[in-house]
Amino acid sequence: MPHKPPTKEELERRKTVGIHEETVTNVSANDFPMNYPGEDHSWDIEAFKRNFRVEFHQNDPFEASFSLVGCDASIANAFRRIMIADIPTLAVETVFINNNTSVIQDEVLAHRLGLIPFKGGREGLHKFLKWWRRPADESQINNSYYDFNTVLLRLDVRCEHNEDAAPGETDPTKLYKHAHVYARDIEFCPVGRQSRYFSGDDVIAPVHPDILIAKLRPGQEISLTMHMHKGVGSDHAKFSPVATASYRLMPVIQIERPILGADAEKFARCFPRGVIGLEPVTKEEASRKGSGYEGHEGELKAVVVDPMRDTVSRECLRHEEFKGKVKLGRRRDHFIFLVESTGQWESDAIFLEAVAHLKKRAQDLEKQVINMVR
Amino acid sequence: MSREEYQVPNTGSGNSPAIGGGSFNAGQRDFSGESGGGVIYYICGDCAVRVPLERDTPIRCQKCGARVLYKERTKRMVQFEAR
Ligand SMILES: [Zn+2]
Repeated sequence: MPHKPPTKEELERRKTVGIHEETVTNVSANDFPMNYPGEDHSWDIEAFKRNFRVEFHQNDPFEASFSLVGCDASIANAFRRIMIADIPTLAVETVFINNNTSVIQDEVLAHRLGLIPFKGGREGLHKFLKWWRRPADESQINNSYYDFNTVLLRLDVRCEHNEDAAPGETDPTKLYKHAHVYARDIEFCPVGRQSRYFSGDDVIAPVHPDILIAKLRPGQEISLTMHMHKGVGSDHAKFSPVATASYRLMPVIQIERPILGADAEKFARCFPRGVIGLEPVTKEEASRKGSGYEGHEGELKAVVVDPMRDTVSRECLRHEEFKGKVKLGRRRDHFIFLVESTGQWESDAIFLEAVAHLKKRAQDLEKQVINMVR
Repeated sequence: MSREEYQVPNTGSGNSPAIGGGSFNAGQRDFSGESGGGVIYYICGDCAVRVPLERDTPIRCQKCGARVLYKERTKRMVQFEAR
């Protein structure tokens, strides 16, 4: 029997994860060799190039949303994990506390300082600054800090009474000078060539100047210096360039049989706003036999407008009147990414860097494999 | 400044000072000249003022009269990992 190529519906069915009232079906990828008799599903770079595409939905400095369509979950997940754990950023690593008489303990203060995200000149951060490595000989540690691997910060704050405060004032920020210590009080001390890369708009400074570090009362003081180093998220979350990097699969909503009138309005309310729209039944549809629209010309019907905004809550599956009229699912090869930058990188640059990183890793592995076979 | 560069302030010879004589030798203390005459500073528990105390003076804040005084924090630099 000659092989029949799969129909469009069959191809669609193959790459849709079924979402039912209680179960999720068809979850695994099936486009691999020997799975479908007579079809060649071996991986092919040309086929990949033909089918793969990237669509941007939002691209702001701190938040980017885009779709990768036509790739496997392993690749999409690799990008997600690389963005979280392998893209280097600069963060506070060591805190030298000269004085801290505030109520916040040294250890906690140091931890808080480490978590503050910083920004600075792109060229300086990504090209000029290199890794700092702890020297094998611990006594040589003071000879391991250079302008290209360590950034020096200083924080000196002392709280005093404010003589100009109005009598009866109760607001600590007005009653005292420097009652609150904010991230903007941190001072960058350029060393060597750093002033060339980090000056003007490129100066190293907290992304959010209003982060509250500690609260002080008169007589209390915080005086410390900090060393920043480059690091990766797999070492400590403070080095992760993203607040979140996640993906979800594209929702699929298929209306199998007409949903009309009041039912249509109720159906639309089962989904987030903008997912389902209401359109009047056209004359052409009403005249078509067996369409389910006969005699309903002008009535409102439910149509799928923007499935991407759906949260796949399955609310519509709970109602008797929609039984058998709707099918929910997710597109298995359509990944909607959301990348939220902490501010050191542009959010889209994080993804591009992740692609470059995966490529480099693959090339390194290739070299190793070639060495192994030789 | 790194940990190794830091000079540990020295509290002096360790000899017992003459009682009431005020002849306590501060030795190599580098507390910028405020330690003459065997004065040790404490922090008032109520008003946070620095209270100089000598031997035999009552343990009491000279500003507000509070009787709870705290030892000052170490003058040494303390190093922490921001983790
Ligand atoms: Zn007092």
